[in-house]
Amino acid sequence: MNSSDLRYLMNLPKFEYFEPKTIEEACSLLHKYKGDAMVLAGGTDLLVSMKKREISPKYLVNIKTIPDLNYIRYNGEGLLQIGALATLNEIKDAKIVKEKFPLVAEAAEKSGLPTTRNVATMAGNLCNALPAADSAPLLICLGAKVKIQGVEGSRTMLVEDFFVDSKVNALQNGEMVTEIQVPVLPDNSAGVYLKNPERSVTDVAVVSVGTVITMDAKRAKVVDAKIVLGATAPTPMRAHKAENTIKGKTLDQELIEKAALAASKEAKPRTRPDYKRELVRVLTIRAIKQATI
Amino acid sequence: MKKRIELTINGEHYEFNVEPWRTLVEVIREEAGLTGAKESCGTGECGNCLVILDGKPVNSCLVLAVDANGKDILTIEGVAEGEKLHPLQKAFVDHGAIQCGFCTPGMILAAKSFLEKNPKPTRMETKEAMEGVLCRCTGYVRILDAVLAASQEMMQENKTATKGGK
Ligand SMILES: Cc1cc2nc3c(=O)[nH]c(=O)nc-3n(C[C@H](O)[C@H](O)[C@H](O)COP(=O)(O)OP(=O)(O)OC[C@H]3O[C@@H](n4cnc5c(N)ncnc54)[C@H](O)[C@@H]3O)c2cc1C
Ligand code: FES
Ligand code: FES
Repeated sequence: MNSSDLRYLMNLPKFEYFEPKTIEEACSLLHKYKGDAMVLAGGTDLLVSMKKREISPKYLVNIKTIPDLNYIRYNGEGLLQIGALATLNEIKDAKIVKEKFPLVAEAAEKSGLPTTRNVATMAGNLCNALPAADSAPLLICLGAKVKIQGVEGSRTMLVEDFFVDSKVNALQNGEMVTEIQVPVLPDNSAGVYLKNPERSVTDVAVVSVGTVITMDAKRAKVVDAKIVLGATAPTPMRAHKAENTIKGKTLDQELIEKAALAASKEAKPRTRPDYKRELVRVLTIRAIKQATI
Repeated sequence: MKKRIELTINGEHYEFNVEPWRTLVEVIREEAGLTGAKESCGTGECGNCLVILDGKPVNSCLVLAVDANGKDILTIEGVAEGEKLHPLQKAFVDHGAIQCGFCTPGMILAAKSFLEKNPKPTRMETKEAMEGVLCRCTGYVRILDAVLAASQEMMQENKTATKGGK
């Protein structure tokens, strides 16, 4: 008997496989094979979708063989640069991230299990473009950008705009993400990412809320506020009305509740709307409080 | 098209010709004949296929074998030294932390790499570090007891080793 006859488990569909050595080579492969080729990074989303036969790309372009995509560095001018191959655990544990970008460390840590984080990349989490992608809300709050390389050059784009629809990102044919860029947090700012369920081994977040709030020097008034909801619309979304409710104001219980109610009304959940809106409300209250104590 | 790969598994050198769609757990089990790592869910959720790849615990059901080319792999078969069990293995036996045993290879490897980073963990830290490995017999209490007992044992061993070395 052939060993494959014995296997009743999910195996991968067949595909042709490439190991490009440069970004240019990867982009030209993606360009040449149009929609038939997909980038393989950590594979923790891609290989699962392939095993489940949700997708069956004819060609896989493994970018892990490109040597200069694995880095985490501070450019000295207020920008953290995360290469597309940096894993979630590498990001979470990097000294510069822990010291200067604790919210990026939090985003990385909350995006998977200890083991999947050893291979999963943050760029892959964004490119996969799930509404529940756990690294997205805080990155959006922080004003992070992705650097995109294509056959005809490169461009940068806010993470906020990179999410186009559920499972659809803004990449065009022949393009890939090479870097995530995160600006340093302004003074007097703090943030937090809350998800429900809080720790779940296999389930994706039902609802999540990320927030970053900047206070004035006296910590009396809110100067700026970003509130981003996950899993409540086809993409992670800014809760603009909630943000505007607290901007320029002095926070008290009543105002926080007002903002949270606004967020719950802005959310556009497609499933279990009442339950999800209530979760948005409760998590937003908690998030604002935790970011401002 | 098959690709030639070289793997070091438990210190031994292997060479295989594999199709790109074969996963690492398939090659470890079916080509190398090491059946300690189990494939169960196949989708990264259970940790039963856990191996240590270049020093880090990974789910080998979600790693392409071609992607592990040139890398160093530790499976449960490489944890004992000959007949001498690793303190974790001994603690699992002593604490009755093995029921059917299906999850044990993944549990021990996850615990081993965790204790190397954090030799004196709290119970909560241990729980969080091991959350990627599921036990269908649900013997988690004894598994945690065993890991924490082994951490004590390993600290003692290290102390004696350093003393002896002086
Ligand atoms: C058990 C388990 C638990 C998980 N838990 C969580 C969780 O708690 N939160 C969470 O958000 N996610 C979770 N995930 C999902 C997944 O691990 C993350 O989304 C991960 O960050 C994806 O990164 P990757 O490198 O593995 O991506 P891959 O699977 O390699 O790629 C994902 C998608 O992005 C594309 N892609 C990847 N990199 C690039 C690039 N540089 N340029 C262009 N396209 C690219 C691929 O073509 C593919 O379509 C979990 C997955 C598993 C299996
Ligand atoms: S078989 Fe790999 S995690 Fe379950
Ligand atoms: S002992 Fe049976 S699965 Fe854990």
